[in-house]
Amino acid sequence: MSEDLTRRDLFAKVARGTVLATLAGGAGFLVKKANGQVVWQVNASRCINSRLGEVGVEACNLCTTECVVALSAVRAVNEYSKCGRCNICPAYFNILSAVNELGQPSEKLCPRDAITRKPIGKVDPEDPANNFYEYIIDEEKCDGCGKCVMQCKDPLGLGSITLRVRYDKCVNCNSCSISRACPQNALLQLPVEQALQPVVLKRTG
Amino acid sequence: MQYRHVQVIGGKGAAPDRFTATLRGIAVDSREQLYAAGDSEVKVFDGAGRLKRRWPTSQPVHSVAVASDGAVYAGEIGKIEIFDGTGKLIDTWRDQKLLGRVTAIGFTKDSVLAGDAADRAIRRFDRAGKFLNNIGKDNPLSGLLIPNGVVDFAVDAQDTIYAANPGKHRVERYTPGGELLGHIGRFDGIDPAGFTGCCNPTNVAVRDRIFTTEKAGPRVKAYDFTGKLLAVIATDLFDANCKNMSIAVDARGRVYVVDTVKLEIFVFEPVNV
Repeated sequence: MSEDLTRRDLFAKVARGTVLATLAGGAGFLVKKANGQVVWQVNASRCINSRLGEVGVEACNLCTTECVVALSAVRAVNEYSKCGRCNICPAYFNILSAVNELGQPSEKLCPRDAITRKPIGKVDPEDPANNFYEYIIDEEKCDGCGKCVMQCKDPLGLGSITLRVRYDKCVNCNSCSISRACPQNALLQLPVEQALQPVVLKRTG
Repeated sequence: MQYRHVQVIGGKGAAPDRFTATLRGIAVDSREQLYAAGDSEVKVFDGAGRLKRRWPTSQPVHSVAVASDGAVYAGEIGKIEIFDGTGKLIDTWRDQKLLGRVTAIGFTKDSVLAGDAADRAIRRFDRAGKFLNNIGKDNPLSGLLIPNGVVDFAVDAQDTIYAANPGKHRVERYTPGGELLGHIGRFDGIDPAGFTGCCNPTNVAVRDRIFTTEKAGPRVKAYDFTGKLLAVIATDLFDANCKNMSIAVDARGRVYVVDTVKLEIFVFEPVNV
């Protein structure tokens, strides 16, 4: 089996695993709910951290500060099928930090160190610029601050990281406190059967 | 060395000299005529920015280049359409595998090069369209890392190929046979001599120096052949959401850069040279 095929297989497996992992927190919970019930969901095309067209603004962290759950029920999720597996990922590194001896930023971006990475495919120890990486978000550490989401979105990144309500964490308040605080009205209540439909991002303006 | 902004060509709109939805590629010929690939058309502007001709392509066009004999090559999905200087279609090269999405076209003395963004490689063909070899295909150790969806390159007078390798934050030099000769560029988010973000530079042009464009934020720069930064030509003229900004240079050293959001072509000329 060729090296290329091996990597392609790996990507496919990772993508399938990601979808399952992404859905696991929500779907397992959702299937227990009866049709007609509603759940909260982040609308990525409204959220200032993920919607296209918003550049040069600080990440909004209301999902972190306003959720009644101790560590917010909103977490960052990396959709691997969209991820560029970049050598220097702006969601992983603070790209404005000083460059280290490897030619990479010296600081990470996530204040809770919730993103880790591991090389995939052939690894070139001589020249780190040649390497691909898989980026993994530890949802037990993530508090949904949105910094990585803001740095991943187009045109800086590919928009693979978005904020999602984790239905196994969310207590499904009748009046979500994040929703009340969000100036973009990005928290929506949806019927269970629509909650896992993909959200299409829209450019503003 | 400095550059000044002297002209804007095109723009968004329905008029014949404007673009409706996309403006993806530009090229300049030896008579300083500017060829622009946008929507499903090739438009030709004279040195003053006036529209001289335009003609349709069979589908949305992603790149354009002009050969030394005046033939105009338009890169599309799955094919290259070749026109004469008046816009008459004279040939079509079709290959879904080798011409997946043609985002750049260039020429050596005896071959035609096509950047295939679908497979992240540069294809080399003879003048009749027979495939010869790949360039930059051996990912990841000596190939193109292209997270941004566009393969772009330029060719100098000695047939050296300068390929943007944004995932490595470099411009790489290749022989037509595909041998990697070296590179300029490095990552740096602070020093303007470096390339920042996940993947820059996205586009490249070459003449007496190397010209690059970057996304997030949009930036145009000039380097010498050792990799020394000569000038930051422009930054804040462009829409902040611009990416994959095609760039071309004419014989007088004037630099043409596409704003992919405003659908305009900005023209810069060197001063103090």
